[in-house]
Amino acid sequence: MTGRPAEAGGPAVRRWRETLPLYLGAVVVTALILAPLAAPGYALRYDMVFVPRQPLSWDLVAPAQSLPRAVPMDALVSLVTQLVPGWVVQRVALAGAVLFAAVGAGRLVPTQRRAVRLVAAVAYAWTPYLAERLLIGQWGLLLAYAALPWLVRAALDLRAGRDGALARVVLLAAPAAITPTGGLIALATVLALATDRARLRLSAVAVGGVALLNAPWIVAALVTGAGGTSDPAGVAAFAARAENWAGPLVALAGTGGIWNVQATPASRSATLAPLATVVLVVLAVVGAGLLRRRLPAGAAVRLGVLAGGAYLLAALAVLPGGNAALSWAVAHVPGAGLLRDGQKFLAPYALVLVVCAALGAERLVARIDREVGGIVLAGLLLLPVAAMPDLAFGGAGRISPVRYPADWRAVAERLPDDPGEILALPLTTYRAYPWNPGRVVLDPAPRYLPGTVLTDDTLVVDDVAVAGENPRLREVRRVLAEGRPVSATGVRWVVVQHGTPSTVDPAVLAGLDLRYEGESLSLYRNPAASDSPPRAGASRWLVVLACGTAVLAVMAAAFSTLRRRATAW
Amino acid sequence: MRRALTLVVSGLVAALLGVLALGGLSAAATATAEEAATEARNATEAAKRAGKQDPYAPEVYGNR
Repeated sequence: MTGRPAEAGGPAVRRWRETLPLYLGAVVVTALILAPLAAPGYALRYDMVFVPRQPLSWDLVAPAQSLPRAVPMDALVSLVTQLVPGWVVQRVALAGAVLFAAVGAGRLVPTQRRAVRLVAAVAYAWTPYLAERLLIGQWGLLLAYAALPWLVRAALDLRAGRDGALARVVLLAAPAAITPTGGLIALATVLALATDRARLRLSAVAVGGVALLNAPWIVAALVTGAGGTSDPAGVAAFAARAENWAGPLVALAGTGGIWNVQATPASRSATLAPLATVVLVVLAVVGAGLLRRRLPAGAAVRLGVLAGGAYLLAALAVLPGGNAALSWAVAHVPGAGLLRDGQKFLAPYALVLVVCAALGAERLVARIDREVGGIVLAGLLLLPVAAMPDLAFGGAGRISPVRYPADWRAVAERLPDDPGEILALPLTTYRAYPWNPGRVVLDPAPRYLPGTVLTDDTLVVDDVAVAGENPRLREVRRVLAEGRPVSATGVRWVVVQHGTPSTVDPAVLAGLDLRYEGESLSLYRNPAASDSPPRAGASRWLVVLACGTAVLAVMAAAFSTLRRRATAW
Repeated sequence: MRRALTLVVSGLVAALLGVLALGGLSAAATATAEEAATEARNATEAAKRAGKQDPYAPEVYGNR
């Protein structure tokens, strides 16, 4: 009798002892990176826009005139913020991304050594990739980054024929598939790792399930009026960038190289930054053999192919002939515009690099004295932080919450539930607000205000203007360029944003009725606009159907996973 | 002798990385939002001097 509790508690305690350092390490890293989010408000930077309660408008579910870059992410946020405030959603998403990335990478390493797992966890959560995508505000992509190690594990389990792996593959691909890029990374991962001739039916179901999760944005892309092609000028503008003297290929090898200098931690431009990359790559080469021996036959090669493919895709625009080929594809092949910011596809490479480097560290310390080995592992644990300390504390103050001025709420309340088209002026895609100092952010109006908000979709990088795809915006721009008032565009509402460096010519607003005037925003109604708002086309219901099917697939996978557990938790 | 040397060298490298990490973390921790804004202003001025677009002008998505 006395032995039974010890037997029951023993393995559980041992398991806790094994995993506790990993979870604690992940919590510390998450807290270090996202510490400023302990303050109230919304962190608004580049593509990261959260609002108190995002309306569930048609244009966020299925954009009629623009490419579905945030489908079904926006629909999901709209649904969740009906129940939970946007600031909570932002914190859960960001903290969850960093925490699960770290834990997932640590658990993926095939090792018995806790310190080696911890090295992988810290290295994966402290990559230039995570830093740069965080600083450019692409939190949806960070969810894909966090889901990736878990998905890799599930896909390898599926190939090994483990029970319940199919459901886990679909379930873990779901957070990745909230953006088109994440969905493609998940699909490529499952195709590369889970497919097996011996289990053809299971492989097909897994690939089909993950393809189904991609259906919302694919269907939205098929039904949008924006067309499927993009401006090829974006290929050079969004190509990988050299962060220091070592060039773009080395920047990518270190998982950095994002196109935007403002989204790059300053430490990446240090002369010695490539040294950390060299250490990591050499360790990864040393550890690759160990990975091959410890994973099932063929798995390491498949992982290598996945990582190599990700690196090549990221580097394509800077390789000889790559720019021309990609420019042609972007201009002629529908959907190829997704490839123009190639660095975002680097996630699988980052994961394999980190896992191999951790195993390389294990191999290294196995050859030396235990005491010295401990010191070496401690040093390797600190290496990513020492090489890029300015990721800490929200990228050294670059991510910091602010409050929306009261005018935003006032304007949103004055608009009816189905207000029709709202034009946001001045006509720029990104805004630099005085209440969000030192940061550029995507116009929050489409997410804050109900209805279809028209904002400019031209992306200016240096002196290059990458044209947007929205045909309605082209029409509005033409009217304004001809010097005609905005009332001639037929939009029903006009929101003018004050305090930004651009201004609006009062002549443009001629003929509009002022409905609200505040320090930050003014709201006008266009009496010349028709009263009946445009109805949602039947094709948009196809997107809803695709979203519903994806949700059903996730629910079936969740149910199947829970059914296999002794308890639901 | 060889063991002692390895211990000293690896200890020094780990200590150096520790100092770099802790120093960098303290610098990042003390960087306030105001300092980030100042940094943005400096970037604007540097862009002007270099004859480039202001990266914090609303119409600019970013600079390469």
